[in-house]
Amino acid sequence: MFFAQLQNELWKLFGKKRTYIGFGAFVLAQLAMLLAFKFTRWQGDFERLLAGNGYLAEEFISALTVAVIMVLPQIVLLMPLYVTLVGGDLVAKETEDGTLRMILARPISRHRLLLVKWVAGMIFAAVLVAVLGITALGMARIFFPWKGLFVFVPGQAFNLLNAQEGLLRFLIAHIFLILNAGTMLSIAFMFSCFNMKPAAATILALSYMFVNLVMEGIPFFDRYQNWFLTHHFRAWLMVFSDPVPVWRIAQSECLLLAATATVFVIGATAFQVRDIKS
Amino acid sequence: MITLTHLQKQFGHRLAVKDLTLSVPAGEIFGLLGHNGAGKSTTIGMMLGQVWPTAGHVRVCGHDVTTQRARALRQVGAIFEAPAFYDYLSGWRNLEILSHYTASTPKSRIQEVVDWVGLTGRVHSPVRTYSHGMRARLALAQALLPQPALLILDEPGSGLDPEGIAEMRQTILRLHRELGLTILLSSHLLTEVEQLCSHIAVLQHGEKVFDGTIADVRATRGRVALRTRNFPAAVALLREKNLISDSDGKEYIHLKADVPVDAIARALVQAGHEVSGLWAREQTLEDFYLQLVQAAPPPAN
Repeated sequence: MFFAQLQNELWKLFGKKRTYIGFGAFVLAQLAMLLAFKFTRWQGDFERLLAGNGYLAEEFISALTVAVIMVLPQIVLLMPLYVTLVGGDLVAKETEDGTLRMILARPISRHRLLLVKWVAGMIFAAVLVAVLGITALGMARIFFPWKGLFVFVPGQAFNLLNAQEGLLRFLIAHIFLILNAGTMLSIAFMFSCFNMKPAAATILALSYMFVNLVMEGIPFFDRYQNWFLTHHFRAWLMVFSDPVPVWRIAQSECLLLAATATVFVIGATAFQVRDIKS
Repeated sequence: MITLTHLQKQFGHRLAVKDLTLSVPAGEIFGLLGHNGAGKSTTIGMMLGQVWPTAGHVRVCGHDVTTQRARALRQVGAIFEAPAFYDYLSGWRNLEILSHYTASTPKSRIQEVVDWVGLTGRVHSPVRTYSHGMRARLALAQALLPQPALLILDEPGSGLDPEGIAEMRQTILRLHRELGLTILLSSHLLTEVEQLCSHIAVLQHGEKVFDGTIADVRATRGRVALRTRNFPAAVALLREKNLISDSDGKEYIHLKADVPVDAIARALVQAGHEVSGLWAREQTLEDFYLQLVQAAPPPAN
């Protein structure tokens, strides 16, 4: 029954047009960035940067390099918006529309219902990140050759990888990006379980992450960086380091998993005790 | 089929349902009446485990809803005012989705229910293209999917046109007759309730102010129309003789319990009043309800 219920949640989720806003926005943003990179000074500046560091621009202005350049701003700006939009809808939209009352007139437990919805949300997050990566790489490949990867890495300035190694790291990075998206979605999902409008759940989740980002940037909080989720969201970029800081990445991913589990439990508890009224 | 024992629900400082004890017998069509905010929907919410009681117990189909919700609701279907669906999906997909929250339901069962409610030709169209009446049929279909023994209808006639209301009435009677369902009907449509229900309970400000059969309501000694030359003097005399409880001051008097109509005639004629007309009028549910509601004191909270 769990899989039948999950399938139904996916029907509901992917049957809505607004679910696809994120996918559409990603494709449009990538196209705009790709054209800007190709036809403005952006590519020239990048080539000069590589040449200034003693590298041949034609070896590293590649599909992989451009794909990573395109993915970065979308991860920071667009992905949180679209995953929290869907996460905030998962429960609150059903409450607002009145369909939740229909569901809860049936013998399904509230915990089971939430679990099914959350898993459907996580599947959405995974699909969104996968589509982001595939379209970024696919579109970049149309204009740029398949060569090595040049990437800026926090704490290391930049790194250079051959095409095969670059692709592997790109794929692994996306696994961690799925966890980032899942955590963001879970925060919005938690707010959605309280008695509030879907937009409020989305705004609260975005606000929480924005406050994290701002506080993390204040020098006073340097020593408390581990307390900020946004600090751990950057772990995916460490995958491109040499050597790969496995423990640093593992620590961040464990913390994100724990944060996801915590917000799920808080949301489930709030949902369990609340009254569902028209 | 449903037993409420000293049920209470408080929202903040407001007492929405106060010490409600009620029993809905199996096989009955039971009407739950009350003004807006009387506590009907909250009571139904507690029956379905959607609203947690502050005190008291709710048993549905022999199981406590608070502790054994899944068992209690296994054979329950419910329809709410303005039924909500996933408008972007087809009626069929909606039924599939909702059925899986109860148990695995074969396609043949869904088709059977769709045929029963008369939605066969349109069930694969998106729900957003449905008329109000079709949505009401779809709501009925989803409620019937789990083969319920108990059907809870919360304002099912809301927003329907007169034809729709008449169709709904026939459908409820059909459900009761053909499928033998116990039906709890919460409604403002007193004429419908009177025609459908065998038993009613009236809530006012969260409290039960009446619980009995429709036959009790009709048998309750109601208004008697009195035609006489000096109505106020006649009323004063009847009050003095302790035969009536009330009067509208113009045409109607309310007899006290166990006072026959001919006792009124005899008393008036013996006192020299000229009586040109005196007839008892069977009390309708509407008369009864309005008297009850107007007589009840305002809420303490």
